[in-house]
Amino acid sequence: MECRVMIFKCLPINEGETQIYARVDEDGLIRLTCTAEYPEFKAWLAEGNTPLPADEEV
Amino acid sequence: MSTVKATNFQNASSATVNMVTDASGNVSFGGTAAMSSSFLRNRIINGDMRIDQRNDGAEVNPAVTSAYYLDRWEAVSTVASKFKIGQNAGAVTPPTGYSNYIGLTSLSAYTVGASESYAVRQIIEGLNISDFAWGTASATTVTLSFWVRSSLTGTFGGSLRNSGATRSYPFTYTISVANTWEQKTVTIAGETSGTWLATNAAGIYLTFSIGTGSTFSGTAGAWAAANYISATGATSVVGTSGATFYITGVQLEVGTVATPFERQIYSNQLAQCQRYYYRATAAGTSRIFGNGYVTTSTVADYTTPFPVTMRDEPSALEQTGTASNYIVVAGSGGVTCSAVPTYLTSTQWGAQYRLTVASGLTTGQAVLCRSATGGTYLGWSAEL
Repeated sequence: MECRVMIFKCLPINEGETQIYARVDEDGLIRLTCTAEYPEFKAWLAEGNTPLPADEEV
Repeated sequence: MSTVKATNFQNASSATVNMVTDASGNVSFGGTAAMSSSFLRNRIINGDMRIDQRNDGAEVNPAVTSAYYLDRWEAVSTVASKFKIGQNAGAVTPPTGYSNYIGLTSLSAYTVGASESYAVRQIIEGLNISDFAWGTASATTVTLSFWVRSSLTGTFGGSLRNSGATRSYPFTYTISVANTWEQKTVTIAGETSGTWLATNAAGIYLTFSIGTGSTFSGTAGAWAAANYISATGATSVVGTSGATFYITGVQLEVGTVATPFERQIYSNQLAQCQRYYYRATAAGTSRIFGNGYVTTSTVADYTTPFPVTMRDEPSALEQTGTASNYIVVAGSGGVTCSAVPTYLTSTQWGAQYRLTVASGLTTGQAVLCRSATGGTYLGWSAEL
């Protein structure tokens, strides 16, 4: 799976909704959003990374 | 080799001629022609490299360790930026009968580390190789054929392996003349050991190496209880700056004979690819992606059906990264998005996603999602 030099951050959600994460690419653009089941996100977590909270600027 | 010359062939018990040959080389059958495997022989999808939903022919420098470029074809790169890849990259004439190929170009004279690999591969879904019966005593022999061209000559390598990376078969082939298309054939005895998934998960990894370290290289022509990606001593394309490696017409089929490449109607081939990846790309402005409804004054949720049932439920949504590419159409007017579309949920047959604007929507309103410019897209992946 893809392993870009990038980070993931949590997106704001409504109560009861599944947490969605945004991938912030090197250039600062968000080109992908996903659930915790997305293989690239899981691989990123497995490397010891932690997604930024929803209200934190990248 | 001797030749039997005859026009009609008829079984002694048949009332009619079974097979007729003519002077033009045609053969007609009186009944059903049955083969040891089906007429849909090729287990490789997009083997002639026609479909490129993600990049539409653009050449890309893979800055990632593993990612898909042409549909169903994944580039593997332990260290980023050692080669670039694209459909018809290099602009050479494909082999006769083909319009497309994958082109890879080395970006440096790189010495591959022992545990590194650089390659292009296709992961075949287990459902499509279940009849191989690999991992059993009934394992069938298969034949791999392909057209290849390189600026280098010598012995090149690749492998077949299982999803658990516990069984692999390194193979070699020789490129005799530089910058010339050559067709290669490799026949591989069926593997009677190991676990080979017959589900919608990964069945077989077919890899063409352009540079593999010693850890992942093994003896060619034999099954091994190892994760081999290539054969020992194979040529490293990434070891020569500017070296090229082009491939097309890839076919993997049951039996010991490489039959002619199995041609597909374009729409069928696209549908096969869309089982694994679907990208809706706007050809211009005001193209509709889906229908939805407004949930708050700033949010609308949409649904887009997939054109074919996907291999699995996608867990991500891809888009251009530019919010202003997407417009919420409510009533007579359009409102430009203030944030990029986001994933909500999906099934194997469709997806939901969310568009956000600064203000101006009315809860409960029916809305459309449309493009503000050509090239705007939404994409979903169920790749292996």
